[in-house]
Amino acid sequence: MGTGLKYAYYPGCVSQHMTKETNETTRKVAAKLGIELHDMPKASCCGAGLLTDYDYPLYLAINARIFAEAEAMGMDILTICSTCLMVMSTANRDLKADPKLLAETNEVLAKSGLKYSGKVNVKQLLWVLAADYGLENLKKQVVKPLSWLKAAPFYGCHSLRPSDALGFDDPEKPWSLDAAIEALGAEPVQYRGKTKCCGFQVDIVAEKTAEKMTGKRLLEGKERGANCFVTPCPFCHINLDNYQGLAEKALDTKIGMPVFHFSQLVGLALGMTPQELGLSRHLVSPEKIIR
Amino acid sequence: MKIQFRIRRYNPNDRNAPEPYYQAYTVEVALGMTVLEALLKISEEQDSTLSFRKSCRSAICGSCAMTVNGFSRLACNLQVLPEFQKMGGMTIEPLANHRAVKDLVVDMTPFWNKMEKVNPFLMPTEKTASNAVSAEDEELIDQSQKCIMCACCNAECNALEIDERFVAPAALAKAWRFVGDVREGHGVKRLERLSEEHGMWDCVRCVHCTQYCPKGVAPLKQIERLRSAAMKAGILDNPGAKHVEAMAESVEKFGRLDEAAMTFKTLGFLKSLGKIPLGIRMELHGKMPHPYIVPQIEGIEEVREIYREAAAREKEKKKE
Repeated sequence: MGTGLKYAYYPGCVSQHMTKETNETTRKVAAKLGIELHDMPKASCCGAGLLTDYDYPLYLAINARIFAEAEAMGMDILTICSTCLMVMSTANRDLKADPKLLAETNEVLAKSGLKYSGKVNVKQLLWVLAADYGLENLKKQVVKPLSWLKAAPFYGCHSLRPSDALGFDDPEKPWSLDAAIEALGAEPVQYRGKTKCCGFQVDIVAEKTAEKMTGKRLLEGKERGANCFVTPCPFCHINLDNYQGLAEKALDTKIGMPVFHFSQLVGLALGMTPQELGLSRHLVSPEKIIR
Repeated sequence: MKIQFRIRRYNPNDRNAPEPYYQAYTVEVALGMTVLEALLKISEEQDSTLSFRKSCRSAICGSCAMTVNGFSRLACNLQVLPEFQKMGGMTIEPLANHRAVKDLVVDMTPFWNKMEKVNPFLMPTEKTASNAVSAEDEELIDQSQKCIMCACCNAECNALEIDERFVAPAALAKAWRFVGDVREGHGVKRLERLSEEHGMWDCVRCVHCTQYCPKGVAPLKQIERLRSAAMKAGILDNPGAKHVEAMAESVEKFGRLDEAAMTFKTLGFLKSLGKIPLGIRMELHGKMPHPYIVPQIEGIEEVREIYREAAAREKEKKKE
């Protein structure tokens, strides 16, 4: 079934390796829903915020090169990484707002024969389903309503802030992930940490801060009765799932919380099997909450 | 319109109720009324024991910062009706990440201590004192000069929530105010201190500080500028700078992030060994990133050309 929706697909580095289960699941989900994902073979890493620290003009030019590729494809970018979303959107905001900056950046790109004219928008899978595709339409595709799941939505900072660059959800009262969880038949759990940070950026720089932060978020959701977490961001997933054991050690408590990528929750409701979703790759097994 | 305010009360000297509790007040709210005006109305008409700080009523003094519906705001700068309509309620609490002294008043001592630590004043040398400040020079530190010390950013800071020793965004934005000033004479020394543990590299980039600053200081942007300045000054022997360097190298080499190399280059050989037990568990689930098999993107030459060009421009700028 064609929806007419097509995007330049930017999975982000980490979902091509460490969290490739969400990349593979996203491709299958998009195919099922009739959303065309077109690969960007030339796209580089966005810098994940670190290139912003390294050198701001370089960061802008590297991102403008990514936008130029999407612009040549005539499509907006769809990513499945919130950090890529934030990093690209921030560069895009700055370039679109300041013609002088865009011109200077294009001078750097010109050496490689490239040009960005400021026409691309950057979106993430969650937004595309919540707005472009529509949650009512998504609901119609659900074959297995996830009625037994009490899912703690973990938006992650970079899906919500800075809101003047992202321009989609409300940072104080976000709705997209909550509404998507409901559309899939599960119950969204409300807890304080849902709009907060997982700590990923300091995983290897200030690991104790990261571990305690991850643990705190998970415990907040658990205390409110969540039996799983859902996040649209692979970095959040790495902290909440891969490093949950470290968080348990740091806080000296057992958490045992399964964590889904948002794409996997959609896939599950669309009737995909645990194998198709790559659930065996998770460090905290979601087996006990799969039906 | 009548609106109910749920306010966190706390008075450790009240023998009957020494623990925090929430008290409800109903206020007749007129169009355009601010949260501070509503609090003043409660204090004048209903309960004179309610404590909160305020002074200028026009977002200049920074006194009335508090938590409104879960987020840090200046009470004088936020209208009740739109906030109520959006959030569906009105809960007022003291600033987060700070100890409440009474009701909505918090102890600001840690905030001032952090500020003091970064020496919030210009320290020129004889040579730098007379450097002329151009309009472009001023633009670089313009945002950081707008700080009114309200502590909204520190109250929102997710890193400070976990690590109370973290220098935190307000003091970092202030530090850039002076590091970025062309008349400053001890910028490198400052950057060295800021690169220490609990310093600028411990920021988790949650973007809350920039989102909730009521004056557009954009503390995260100033933190990024400090980090760039430190790296350009050659202050590289710390995990934060090494992490960024590893990323910059990886993108130039492959066009991608090399996850394994990032850990190795940031922590060094010995500390990386400490990651082996987790590494084995990750390997069993197919999650372990393998070093040096990262495929290059198409057109990597374009990326390298961008690096060369950006470096050439940077050099050119330095000459000026």
